[in-house]
Amino acid sequence: MKTVLINGSPKVKGSASGTLLEDLKAYLSETEIVEIGFHAGAVAKETTEILNQADALVFAFPLYVDGIPGHLLSCLEELEKTSCKNSSIRVYGIVNCGFYEGIQAETALQVLKNWCEKAGYVWGGGVGVGGGGGLAQMPKTKSGHGPREPIERALKALAETICMSHVQKDQHQQTAENQYVSVAFPRFLYKLAAQMGWRQMMKANGGRARDLGRRPEESKD
Amino acid sequence: MKLIITDLEDFKASVEGDHKIIQPQGNIQNCIGCFGCWARTPGRCVIHDGYENTGIDMSKCTELIFVSRCCYGSVSPFVKTVQDRAISYIHPDFVMRRGEMHHKRRYDNVILLSAYYYGENITDAEKETARKILEANADNYDGSVKDIYFYKSAEELEGLLI
Repeated sequence: MKTVLINGSPKVKGSASGTLLEDLKAYLSETEIVEIGFHAGAVAKETTEILNQADALVFAFPLYVDGIPGHLLSCLEELEKTSCKNSSIRVYGIVNCGFYEGIQAETALQVLKNWCEKAGYVWGGGVGVGGGGGLAQMPKTKSGHGPREPIERALKALAETICMSHVQKDQHQQTAENQYVSVAFPRFLYKLAAQMGWRQMMKANGGRARDLGRRPEESKD
Repeated sequence: MKLIITDLEDFKASVEGDHKIIQPQGNIQNCIGCFGCWARTPGRCVIHDGYENTGIDMSKCTELIFVSRCCYGSVSPFVKTVQDRAISYIHPDFVMRRGEMHHKRRYDNVILLSAYYYGENITDAEKETARKILEANADNYDGSVKDIYFYKSAEELEGLLI
């Protein structure tokens, strides 16, 4: 069984999407894994060949304005043109959401599901990860512990679904349900930590905390 | 002011009143997730390719109108990229609205959102997704939804008064 993990973050390194795929990979040890990145809006010809030979595709990407980032949407359109329609390739999605509630990723997963229908793939379900803002910087804790625990659990369940779906390929398709989880960290603290993070970033860039609320005019900075 | 974001290079619909149209003119670069528009040059995207001021344009509008090909229930890659590059319309800090986390306002204007989608085979599922996204956008901009329309082709939009 061949699973292709697709990192749809515009960041080549240090993305939350990459962290989530790394975690998922640990639960997919019995399958052949191919990793690719869609960090800009174009798809290489070799990539489409790799995708068409896969059994499962897992897209991980950040939630951008309630949907899929523009560059990834471009890639999906290109892939639709080259996909072998009516294939048995299953598609899964992992959406990293800066807001605390994973359910806010529902619309992005719907877009991916709609794409599957147009491209002739089988939608396998996804995970909406809430509170993903600090995931890439979060230290690794012992499995089953720490703020990432609910996310790890959801990814483990996703990995099981990926493997089971492959075994039951010819049987009647199971209902693909999405999972929505949040980081195990109180919401008010997450909100506060984000606020502190923005102020630190602003200061590191040579500004003041109050500059965060600046209202620029078009003609001047 | 009505702010129209469209993927149509040859936009032929008529627009009533004061308006600005953002449409494809040269290559648009995608958002790189650097958050510079929040914590380096607040309110403005750091990529200077002619599409860096949409957040500021949004602060001056009363209506935001998407005229776009429907792409799996989303706006098209061009319109989405313009939107992605304009998150500086809102403030990075979080607030709670109706039990959900959203971003704080940067500006005082309240935006009414409309979308005119076109495309040959827009499925019912895509229409439902498009409606949900527009509502979610309205929540995140702290505005509200005005209208959503679906057309079979861009030509059908030609005689329209927006």
